[in-house]
Amino acid sequence: MRKPTPSQTVGPFFARELLWKDGGIVLFPGRGERITLTGCVFDGAGTPIYDALFETWQADSSGQFPSGHDGARPYGYGRVSTDTEGRYAIETIMPGSFKGPGGERYAPQISVSIFARGLLKALQTRVFLAPLDVIKDDPLVRAIGDPERVRTLIASRDPGDPKLYRWDVRLRGAGEAVFIEI
Amino acid sequence: MAGTSPTDVQPPYFYPDYKSTRLRAPVQPLVRVAASPLELAGPGFPRNFFKDSEADLTTWGKSAPLGEKMILVGRILDEDGRPVRRSLVEVWQANASGRYPHPVDDHDAPLDPNFLGKGQVLTDDEGRYRIVTVKPGAYPWQNHAFGWRPAHIHFSLFGNAYAQRLITQMFFPGDPLLAIDPIFQSVPEAGRNLLIADLDLEQGIEGVALGYRWDMVLGGPRATPMGV
Repeated sequence: MRKPTPSQTVGPFFARELLWKDGGIVLFPGRGERITLTGCVFDGAGTPIYDALFETWQADSSGQFPSGHDGARPYGYGRVSTDTEGRYAIETIMPGSFKGPGGERYAPQISVSIFARGLLKALQTRVFLAPLDVIKDDPLVRAIGDPERVRTLIASRDPGDPKLYRWDVRLRGAGEAVFIEI
Repeated sequence: MAGTSPTDVQPPYFYPDYKSTRLRAPVQPLVRVAASPLELAGPGFPRNFFKDSEADLTTWGKSAPLGEKMILVGRILDEDGRPVRRSLVEVWQANASGRYPHPVDDHDAPLDPNFLGKGQVLTDDEGRYRIVTVKPGAYPWQNHAFGWRPAHIHFSLFGNAYAQRLITQMFFPGDPLLAIDPIFQSVPEAGRNLLIADLDLEQGIEGVALGYRWDMVLGGPRATPMGV
Protein backbone atom coordinates (compact mmCIF):
# COMPACT_ATOMS: atom_id res chain seq x y z
CA MET A 1 0.00 0.00 0.00
CA ARG A 2 1.46 3.33 -1.07
CA LYS A 3 1.09 6.45 0.98
CA PRO A 4 -1.17 9.01 -0.69
CA THR A 5 0.36 12.29 -1.75
CA PRO A 6 -0.45 14.90 0.90
CA SER A 7 -2.81 17.72 0.07
CA GLN A 8 -1.73 21.37 0.04
CA THR A 9 -3.72 24.57 -0.26
CA VAL A 10 -4.86 25.83 -3.66
CA GLY A 11 -3.57 29.23 -2.52
CA PRO A 12 -4.78 32.62 -3.71
CA PHE A 13 -3.34 32.58 -7.23
CA PHE A 14 -5.37 29.95 -9.06
CA ALA A 15 -8.00 31.95 -10.92
CA ARG A 16 -6.61 32.24 -14.40
CA GLU A 17 -5.22 28.74 -14.33
CA LEU A 18 -8.13 26.68 -13.08
CA LEU A 19 -11.28 28.46 -14.17
CA TRP A 20 -13.00 27.20 -17.28
CA LYS A 21 -14.99 29.37 -19.62
CA ASP A 22 -18.64 29.08 -18.51
CA GLY A 23 -17.47 26.65 -15.82
CA GLY A 24 -20.57 27.47 -13.78
CA ILE A 25 -22.91 26.15 -16.49
CA VAL A 26 -22.98 22.40 -16.03
CA LEU A 27 -23.42 20.37 -19.21
CA PHE A 28 -25.35 17.14 -19.69
CA PRO A 29 -26.00 15.03 -22.77
CA GLY A 30 -29.74 14.94 -22.03
CA ARG A 31 -32.43 17.23 -20.79
CA GLY A 32 -33.60 18.12 -17.33
CA GLU A 33 -35.26 20.68 -15.14
CA ARG A 34 -32.97 23.71 -15.17
CA ILE A 35 -32.05 25.02 -11.73
CA THR A 36 -29.45 27.37 -10.26
CA LEU A 37 -27.65 26.60 -7.03
CA THR A 38 -26.29 29.79 -5.51
CA GLY A 39 -25.13 31.21 -2.21
CA CYS A 40 -22.16 32.56 -0.31
CA VAL A 41 -19.18 30.99 1.41
CA PHE A 42 -18.32 32.49 4.82
CA ASP A 43 -15.39 32.06 7.20
CA GLY A 44 -15.53 31.68 10.99
CA ALA A 45 -15.91 35.44 11.48
CA GLY A 46 -18.85 35.59 9.08
CA THR A 47 -16.73 37.28 6.43
CA PRO A 48 -17.35 36.26 2.82
CA ILE A 49 -14.57 34.18 1.30
CA TYR A 50 -13.77 35.79 -2.03
CA ASP A 51 -11.06 33.39 -3.17
CA ALA A 52 -12.59 29.93 -2.93
CA LEU A 53 -12.72 27.41 -5.75
CA PHE A 54 -16.15 25.74 -5.71
CA GLU A 55 -16.64 22.50 -7.65
CA THR A 56 -19.72 20.35 -8.14
CA TRP A 57 -20.35 16.84 -9.46
CA GLN A 58 -23.78 15.31 -9.84
CA ALA A 59 -26.05 12.78 -11.48
CA ASP A 60 -28.27 13.66 -14.42
CA SER A 61 -32.03 14.01 -14.13
CA SER A 62 -32.54 10.24 -14.23
CA GLY A 63 -29.92 9.52 -11.56
CA GLN A 64 -27.28 8.31 -14.04
CA PHE A 65 -23.68 9.45 -13.59
CA PRO A 66 -22.39 11.47 -16.52
CA SER A 67 -19.42 10.27 -18.51
CA GLY A 68 -17.73 11.92 -21.44
CA HIS A 69 -17.81 15.52 -22.51
CA ASP A 70 -19.24 17.92 -25.04
CA GLY A 71 -15.86 18.78 -26.55
CA ALA A 72 -15.26 21.72 -24.27
CA ARG A 73 -15.91 20.45 -20.76
CA PRO A 74 -16.81 17.20 -19.02
CA TYR A 75 -20.47 16.49 -18.40
CA GLY A 76 -21.82 16.87 -14.90
CA TYR A 77 -18.99 18.95 -13.47
CA GLY A 78 -19.20 22.57 -12.37
CA ARG A 79 -16.28 24.78 -11.42
CA VAL A 80 -16.38 28.42 -10.38
CA SER A 81 -14.66 30.75 -7.95
CA THR A 82 -16.47 32.82 -5.39
CA ASP A 83 -16.67 36.54 -6.13
CA THR A 84 -15.81 39.54 -3.96
CA GLU A 85 -19.00 38.95 -1.94
CA GLY A 86 -18.24 35.28 -1.45
CA ARG A 87 -20.94 34.32 -3.94
CA TYR A 88 -20.95 31.32 -6.25
CA ALA A 89 -23.57 30.23 -8.79
CA ILE A 90 -23.94 26.88 -10.56
CA GLU A 91 -26.47 26.62 -13.38
CA THR A 92 -27.38 22.99 -13.74
CA ILE A 93 -30.27 20.55 -13.81
CA MET A 94 -32.12 18.89 -10.96
CA PRO A 95 -30.28 15.62 -10.28
CA GLY A 96 -32.25 12.42 -9.93
CA SER A 97 -31.94 10.15 -6.92
CA PHE A 98 -29.83 7.01 -7.25
CA LYS A 99 -29.20 3.71 -5.49
CA GLY A 100 -26.12 2.52 -3.64
CA PRO A 101 -24.58 -0.97 -3.84
CA GLY A 102 -26.65 -2.17 -0.90
CA GLY A 103 -29.89 -0.83 -2.36
CA GLU A 104 -29.83 2.31 -0.22
CA ARG A 105 -31.48 5.31 -1.82
CA TYR A 106 -29.50 8.53 -2.25
CA ALA A 107 -31.71 11.64 -2.27
CA PRO A 108 -31.27 14.25 -5.02
CA GLN A 109 -27.92 15.82 -4.19
CA ILE A 110 -24.83 17.50 -5.55
CA SER A 111 -21.36 16.57 -4.34
CA VAL A 112 -19.36 19.72 -3.55
CA SER A 113 -15.65 20.36 -3.06
CA ILE A 114 -14.38 23.67 -1.72
CA PHE A 115 -10.73 24.68 -2.05
CA ALA A 116 -9.27 27.95 -0.78
CA ARG A 117 -6.31 29.73 0.69
CA GLY A 118 -6.26 28.59 4.31
CA LEU A 119 -7.69 25.17 3.46
CA LEU A 120 -4.83 22.70 3.54
CA LYS A 121 -7.24 20.03 2.26
CA ALA A 122 -10.41 20.28 0.23
CA LEU A 123 -13.66 20.45 2.13
CA GLN A 124 -16.07 17.90 0.71
CA THR A 125 -19.77 17.63 1.32
CA ARG A 126 -23.13 16.96 -0.36
CA VAL A 127 -25.88 19.51 -0.75
CA PHE A 128 -29.48 18.31 -0.85
CA LEU A 129 -32.14 19.75 -3.12
CA ALA A 130 -35.19 18.54 -1.21
CA PRO A 131 -36.64 19.21 2.25
CA LEU A 132 -35.68 17.29 5.36
CA ASP A 133 -38.68 14.96 5.37
CA VAL A 134 -37.90 13.83 1.81
CA ILE A 135 -34.20 13.13 2.43
CA LYS A 136 -34.43 11.48 5.84
CA ASP A 137 -33.41 8.04 4.55
CA ASP A 138 -30.37 9.26 2.61
CA PRO A 139 -27.17 7.55 3.86
CA LEU A 140 -25.45 10.83 4.80
CA VAL A 141 -28.54 12.22 6.50
CA ARG A 142 -28.71 9.04 8.59
CA ALA A 143 -25.00 9.25 9.38
CA ILE A 144 -25.33 12.85 10.60
CA GLY A 145 -28.42 12.20 12.70
CA ASP A 146 -28.94 15.65 14.23
CA PRO A 147 -31.54 17.46 12.07
CA GLU A 148 -30.01 20.84 12.91
CA ARG A 149 -26.74 19.75 11.38
CA VAL A 150 -28.47 18.17 8.39
CA ARG A 151 -30.14 21.53 7.72
CA THR A 152 -26.70 23.02 6.98
CA LEU A 153 -26.70 20.87 3.83
CA ILE A 154 -30.18 21.62 2.53
CA ALA A 155 -30.51 24.17 -0.25
CA SER A 156 -33.73 26.11 0.15
CA ARG A 157 -35.95 26.82 -2.79
CA ASP A 158 -36.46 30.51 -3.37
CA PRO A 159 -40.15 31.35 -2.74
CA GLY A 160 -40.12 33.88 -5.55
CA ASP A 161 -38.28 31.74 -8.10
CA PRO A 162 -38.79 27.97 -8.03
CA LYS A 163 -35.72 27.41 -10.21
CA LEU A 164 -33.43 29.01 -7.65
CA TYR A 165 -31.91 27.04 -4.78
CA ARG A 166 -29.98 28.94 -2.13
CA TRP A 167 -27.23 27.39 -0.08
CA ASP A 168 -24.86 29.39 2.08
CA VAL A 169 -21.80 27.60 3.42
CA ARG A 170 -20.16 28.47 6.73
CA LEU A 171 -16.76 26.84 7.02
CA ARG A 172 -16.29 27.33 10.74
CA GLY A 173 -18.20 28.15 13.91
CA ALA A 174 -21.91 28.88 14.33
CA GLY A 175 -23.94 27.25 11.58
CA GLU A 176 -20.86 25.39 10.33
CA ALA A 177 -21.75 23.09 7.45
CA VAL A 178 -21.25 19.36 7.78
CA PHE A 179 -18.18 18.25 5.87
CA ILE A 180 -17.44 14.65 5.08
CA GLU A 181 -14.58 12.21 4.76
CA ILE A 182 -15.24 9.70 2.00
CA MET B 1 -7.87 0.64 1.43
CA ALA B 2 -9.67 -0.90 4.34
CA GLY B 3 -7.96 -0.22 7.61
CA THR B 4 -5.67 2.50 6.36
CA SER B 5 -6.07 6.08 7.37
CA PRO B 6 -4.71 8.91 5.27
CA THR B 7 -4.32 11.05 8.35
CA ASP B 8 -0.71 10.00 8.94
CA VAL B 9 0.45 11.97 5.90
CA GLN B 10 -2.30 14.55 5.44
CA PRO B 11 -2.14 18.01 7.00
CA PRO B 12 -4.82 19.03 9.50
CA TYR B 13 -7.36 21.70 8.61
CA PHE B 14 -6.40 23.83 11.60
CA TYR B 15 -2.71 24.74 11.61
CA PRO B 16 -2.30 28.07 13.41
CA ASP B 17 1.20 28.79 12.04
CA TYR B 18 -0.52 29.11 8.67
CA LYS B 19 -2.69 32.03 9.68
CA SER B 20 -5.40 31.67 7.07
CA THR B 21 -6.43 28.33 8.56
CA ARG B 22 -7.54 30.02 11.78
CA LEU B 23 -10.82 31.31 10.38
CA ARG B 24 -11.35 28.75 7.65
CA ALA B 25 -10.73 25.36 9.25
CA PRO B 26 -13.94 23.67 10.42
CA VAL B 27 -14.32 23.04 14.15
CA GLN B 28 -16.52 19.96 13.89
CA PRO B 29 -14.96 16.62 12.99
CA LEU B 30 -15.63 15.36 9.49
CA VAL B 31 -18.50 12.91 9.16
CA ARG B 32 -17.08 9.66 7.89
CA VAL B 33 -19.29 8.10 5.29
CA ALA B 34 -18.82 5.63 2.46
CA ALA B 35 -18.23 7.23 -0.91
CA SER B 36 -21.47 7.30 -2.84
CA PRO B 37 -21.59 5.56 -6.23
CA LEU B 38 -21.65 9.07 -7.68
CA GLU B 39 -18.35 9.87 -5.96
CA LEU B 40 -16.84 6.62 -7.24
CA ALA B 41 -17.48 7.92 -10.75
CA GLY B 42 -15.91 11.09 -12.05
CA PRO B 43 -15.78 13.55 -14.90
CA GLY B 44 -14.45 12.29 -18.22
CA PHE B 45 -11.47 13.86 -19.94
CA PRO B 46 -10.72 12.10 -23.24
CA ARG B 47 -7.27 11.80 -24.74
CA ASN B 48 -6.29 14.82 -26.82
CA PHE B 49 -8.80 16.93 -24.90
CA PHE B 50 -6.06 19.51 -24.68
CA LYS B 51 -3.38 20.45 -27.11
CA ASP B 52 -0.04 18.74 -26.50
CA SER B 53 1.54 22.18 -26.43
CA GLU B 54 -0.23 22.95 -23.16
CA ALA B 55 2.22 20.62 -21.43
CA ASP B 56 5.03 23.00 -22.39
CA LEU B 57 4.87 26.22 -20.39
CA THR B 58 7.88 27.68 -22.18
CA THR B 59 6.35 28.21 -25.60
CA TRP B 60 3.59 30.76 -24.92
CA GLY B 61 5.59 33.86 -25.70
CA LYS B 62 7.56 35.23 -28.61
CA SER B 63 10.75 33.91 -27.08
CA ALA B 64 11.80 31.66 -24.24
CA PRO B 65 10.98 32.70 -20.66
CA LEU B 66 13.69 33.65 -18.21
CA GLY B 67 14.86 31.05 -15.73
CA GLU B 68 16.24 27.55 -15.36
CA LYS B 69 14.50 25.42 -17.94
CA MET B 70 13.34 22.11 -16.50
CA ILE B 71 11.49 18.99 -17.53
CA LEU B 72 9.31 17.33 -14.94
CA VAL B 73 8.16 13.76 -15.42
CA GLY B 74 6.32 11.38 -13.19
CA ARG B 75 3.53 8.90 -12.77
CA ILE B 76 0.21 9.09 -11.02
CA LEU B 77 -0.75 5.89 -9.25
CA ASP B 78 -3.43 4.75 -6.89
CA GLU B 79 -2.62 3.32 -3.47
CA ASP B 80 -2.32 -0.17 -4.94
CA GLY B 81 0.24 1.04 -7.46
CA ARG B 82 -2.07 0.97 -10.47
CA PRO B 83 -1.64 3.78 -13.00
CA VAL B 84 -4.24 6.52 -13.04
CA ARG B 85 -4.91 6.70 -16.77
CA ARG B 86 -6.14 9.58 -18.94
CA SER B 87 -6.48 11.79 -15.94
CA LEU B 88 -6.33 15.57 -16.09
CA VAL B 89 -3.27 17.20 -14.51
CA GLU B 90 -3.32 20.99 -14.21
CA VAL B 91 -0.27 22.95 -13.09
CA TRP B 92 0.34 26.58 -12.26
CA GLN B 93 3.32 28.38 -10.81
CA ALA B 94 5.19 31.64 -10.31
CA ASN B 95 7.78 32.71 -12.86
CA ALA B 96 11.52 32.46 -12.29
CA SER B 97 11.52 35.63 -10.19
CA GLY B 98 8.69 34.47 -7.96
CA ARG B 99 5.80 36.41 -9.50
CA TYR B 100 2.38 35.17 -10.63
CA PRO B 101 0.56 36.93 -13.46
CA HIS B 102 -2.40 37.34 -11.10
CA PRO B 103 -4.05 40.62 -10.06
CA VAL B 104 -3.80 39.72 -6.37
CA ASP B 105 -0.03 39.17 -6.52
CA ASP B 106 1.61 42.46 -5.52
CA HIS B 107 5.12 41.06 -5.07
CA ASP B 108 7.58 43.60 -6.41
CA ALA B 109 9.25 41.25 -8.86
CA PRO B 110 9.05 41.43 -12.63
CA LEU B 111 6.43 39.72 -14.72
CA ASP B 112 7.81 37.75 -17.64
CA PRO B 113 5.92 38.50 -20.85
CA ASN B 114 6.96 35.09 -22.14
CA PHE B 115 5.66 33.11 -19.21
CA LEU B 116 2.09 32.57 -18.04
CA GLY B 117 2.90 29.76 -15.64
CA LYS B 118 -0.08 27.60 -16.60
CA GLY B 119 -0.26 24.18 -18.18
CA GLN B 120 -2.30 21.02 -18.45
CA VAL B 121 -1.76 17.49 -19.60
CA LEU B 122 -3.52 14.13 -19.53
CA THR B 123 -1.73 11.11 -18.12
CA ASP B 124 -1.07 8.31 -20.59
CA ASP B 125 -2.00 4.64 -20.25
CA GLU B 126 0.86 4.11 -17.79
CA GLY B 127 -0.23 7.08 -15.68
CA ARG B 128 2.73 9.14 -16.90
CA TYR B 129 2.86 12.89 -17.40
CA ARG B 130 5.61 15.21 -18.64
CA ILE B 131 5.73 18.98 -18.48
CA VAL B 132 8.33 21.47 -19.66
CA THR B 133 8.69 24.66 -17.66
CA VAL B 134 11.14 26.88 -15.80
CA LYS B 135 11.95 26.54 -12.13
CA PRO B 136 9.68 28.91 -10.19
CA GLY B 137 11.22 31.45 -7.86
CA ALA B 138 10.62 31.75 -4.13
CA TYR B 139 8.56 34.76 -3.05
CA PRO B 140 7.77 36.64 0.16
CA TRP B 141 4.35 36.45 1.79
CA GLN B 142 2.64 38.15 4.70
CA ASN B 143 1.96 35.15 6.90
CA HIS B 144 4.82 35.86 9.33
CA ALA B 145 7.93 38.03 9.66
CA PHE B 146 10.46 37.34 6.90
CA GLY B 147 8.19 34.68 5.47
CA TRP B 148 9.12 33.34 2.03
CA ARG B 149 7.38 30.51 0.24
CA PRO B 150 9.81 27.89 -1.06
CA ALA B 151 9.79 27.36 -4.83
CA HIS B 152 6.78 25.22 -5.71
CA ILE B 153 4.55 24.11 -8.54
CA HIS B 154 0.80 23.80 -7.89
CA PHE B 155 -0.87 20.60 -9.07
CA SER B 156 -4.56 19.86 -9.52
CA LEU B 157 -5.47 16.21 -10.14
CA PHE B 158 -8.80 14.60 -10.95
CA GLY B 159 -7.93 10.92 -10.80
CA ASN B 160 -10.54 8.53 -12.13
CA ALA B 161 -13.14 9.15 -9.44
CA TYR B 162 -14.50 12.29 -7.85
CA ALA B 163 -13.36 10.89 -4.49
CA GLN B 164 -9.72 11.01 -5.68
CA ARG B 165 -9.70 14.75 -6.41
CA LEU B 166 -6.50 16.35 -5.09
CA ILE B 167 -4.87 19.76 -5.16
CA THR B 168 -1.33 19.93 -3.88
CA GLN B 169 2.11 21.51 -4.35
CA MET B 170 5.44 20.09 -5.47
CA PHE B 171 8.67 21.33 -3.92
CA PHE B 172 12.36 21.10 -4.86
CA PRO B 173 15.04 19.03 -3.12
CA GLY B 174 17.43 20.77 -0.76
CA ASP B 175 15.45 23.99 -0.47
CA PRO B 176 16.32 25.66 2.87
CA LEU B 177 12.98 27.50 2.86
CA LEU B 178 11.09 24.25 3.40
CA ALA B 179 12.08 24.36 7.06
CA ILE B 180 10.32 27.69 7.62
CA ASP B 181 7.27 27.17 5.42
CA PRO B 182 4.16 26.49 7.52
CA ILE B 183 2.21 25.21 4.51
CA PHE B 184 4.83 22.51 3.86
CA GLN B 185 5.40 21.94 7.59
CA SER B 186 1.67 21.39 8.13
CA VAL B 187 2.19 17.96 6.58
CA PRO B 188 3.13 15.35 9.19
CA GLU B 189 6.77 14.36 8.97
CA ALA B 190 5.92 10.99 7.39
CA GLY B 191 4.39 12.77 4.42
CA ARG B 192 6.77 15.62 3.71
CA ASN B 193 9.19 13.79 1.43
CA LEU B 194 6.23 12.80 -0.73
CA LEU B 195 5.94 16.45 -1.80
CA ILE B 196 9.57 16.85 -2.90
CA ALA B 197 10.67 16.04 -6.45
CA ASP B 198 13.88 14.12 -7.17
CA LEU B 199 16.57 15.49 -9.43
CA ASP B 200 16.65 13.10 -12.40
CA LEU B 201 19.19 14.49 -14.83
CA GLU B 202 18.53 11.95 -17.55
CA GLN B 203 14.98 13.19 -17.90
CA GLY B 204 16.40 16.58 -18.85
CA ILE B 205 18.00 17.61 -22.11
CA GLU B 206 21.78 17.73 -22.21
CA GLY B 207 22.92 21.35 -22.18
CA VAL B 208 19.34 22.67 -22.20
CA ALA B 209 17.10 21.62 -19.33
CA LEU B 210 17.35 20.03 -15.90
CA GLY B 211 15.29 16.92 -15.26
CA TYR B 212 13.11 16.24 -12.24
CA ARG B 213 10.82 13.39 -11.34
CA TRP B 214 7.78 13.50 -9.11
CA ASP B 215 5.33 10.65 -8.70
CA MET B 216 1.96 11.13 -7.04
CA VAL B 217 -0.38 8.69 -5.35
CA LEU B 218 -4.09 9.37 -5.19
CA GLY B 219 -5.80 8.07 -2.10
CA GLY B 220 -8.82 6.01 -2.88
CA PRO B 221 -12.18 6.35 -1.29
CA ARG B 222 -12.40 4.31 1.87
CA ALA B 223 -13.82 0.82 1.63
CA THR B 224 -17.57 0.56 1.75
CA PRO B 225 -19.47 -2.23 3.45
CA MET B 226 -19.85 -3.74 0.00
CA GLY B 227 -16.11 -3.70 -0.55
CA VAL B 228 -16.22 -1.18 -3.39
